[in-house]
Amino acid sequence: MSALTLTLKKSPQFKLSCVGITPNKLAGLNTTQIKNLKLGTSKNAPLLTDYFEVAGDDASHIIFKSSSSQLDNIGFEMKSGQITIDGDAGDSLGAKMRGGTIICKGSANDRVADQMRRGLILIDGNAGEYCASRMIAGTVGIYGNVGAYLGFSLRRGTLLLTKTPSAQATWQDCGTHTLPFLSLLFAALKPLDSKFTKLNNTRVQRWMGDASQNGKGEILLVQP
Amino acid sequence: MQINGVQIDDTYAEAFNMRGTRVIITAQNHKWAYHAANAMTGFATSVIGCGVEAGIERELSSDETPDGRPGVSILMFAMGSKVLMQQLETRMGQCILTCPTAAAFSGVESEDMISLGKHLRYFGDGYQTSKLIGGKRYWRIPVMDGEFLTQETTGMVRAIGGGNFLVLATSQPQALAACEAAIEAMKQVPNVIMPFPGGVVRSGSKVGSKYPKMFASSNDAFCPTLKGIVKTELSDDIESVMEIVIDGMAFEDIAKSMKVGIEAACSLGAKNGIKRISAGNYGGKLGPHLFKLHEVLGTK
Repeated sequence: MSALTLTLKKSPQFKLSCVGITPNKLAGLNTTQIKNLKLGTSKNAPLLTDYFEVAGDDASHIIFKSSSSQLDNIGFEMKSGQITIDGDAGDSLGAKMRGGTIICKGSANDRVADQMRRGLILIDGNAGEYCASRMIAGTVGIYGNVGAYLGFSLRRGTLLLTKTPSAQATWQDCGTHTLPFLSLLFAALKPLDSKFTKLNNTRVQRWMGDASQNGKGEILLVQP
Repeated sequence: MQINGVQIDDTYAEAFNMRGTRVIITAQNHKWAYHAANAMTGFATSVIGCGVEAGIERELSSDETPDGRPGVSILMFAMGSKVLMQQLETRMGQCILTCPTAAAFSGVESEDMISLGKHLRYFGDGYQTSKLIGGKRYWRIPVMDGEFLTQETTGMVRAIGGGNFLVLATSQPQALAACEAAIEAMKQVPNVIMPFPGGVVRSGSKVGSKYPKMFASSNDAFCPTLKGIVKTELSDDIESVMEIVIDGMAFEDIAKSMKVGIEAACSLGAKNGIKRISAGNYGGKLGPHLFKLHEVLGTK
């Protein structure tokens, strides 16, 4: 079995919702059923086959090829498996995620991991505004730059960064530390196809927040 | 049967079913891993008075541990799952949580998973953090030296305790030398521990006592100073007897450990005062596992 590969035929003129294209939702569906899935909920919503070439049959790993920032809600309510995005992602990448792994090899737009509860999101490029907003738990890594309002109303969870985020009043600097759990996390990332496999320094600057919520989340900035 | 002039009695060791677990302790270096492990396995010689029997199984190099730091693996055994769980939690809290730089991980997979740091997390007073990494849940508990990292659970498996053999010698120093040689060899065998001080016990017991409240008392048949007054098991030339008790994850592990231990003890030979190897049992009435010495020594 090979990973289910969805190759974007053309960049959509308008935003395209990818709700429902997750390993847990596609489990048990055959190729025809997958091709005929509606993208969105409106009466005249396009079918998946209108925009994607479909190849492969292992829905536990979905690959978006030639992906575009017009593709919103990739990994929405994902519960298990892996999604690899070979390109950029639109808004709300991994929103309401409940498990599994998302690797975005390009950049992602706003509200990455909104209301995420569990799982792992790794973005090799940049992330837009309100990244990890209302996040409940889980781990999000952004290798590039991250936009304003990082972790807005975040409750718990880990945001792993390599670039210093902009300062926010509701995130408190807790100093620079060597955290032993990072050696476990980095070892778990090693088999993945991501820039994060390069990380091995467990020394990080730690902020805790968002203080407007219960303030139990953390931003970890990996030290050079 | 004789090895190097040492008589091997045609008898058996009698062992019991136990519940066991393995915990991997890591730290900044082996010195502190041993501090933690020695504390955790302290006062754990016999279930009779300690609740559990525990010991260090072996030293682990950095590439053998989950977090890439030096470590040691610990085995812990109890007569039942409830005691094992209670003792593990108590010892984790008092010995590993408290030890600078120490972290704890599961060392055995099982369908029965028991709490390792699951309840210890509350020490974090709300600042504890859970991370699910590779399908395993860990807890990060803020402490004064940084963060205490522990896996949430470890496996509990069916195990065997009470494998043993006795070394009978013409003097106390000779008996001890043979036991030391045996322990050094047995430490190389995985999946077993010898829980008594230095791996050796001098106070082997029999079931019952003249005192009603005592359910075990000195094994007078093997006490050399009582040779003339009790129904002794000792010949005139035996002046000291010491026992090595083995707990292990499986029958084969204990059998292998007994074999290498007896052979190492016998390597000193009769010329060095090692006269007999025997074993402790209760007539086969208490434990379902019988380690017959002659069969064990034939184990490949």
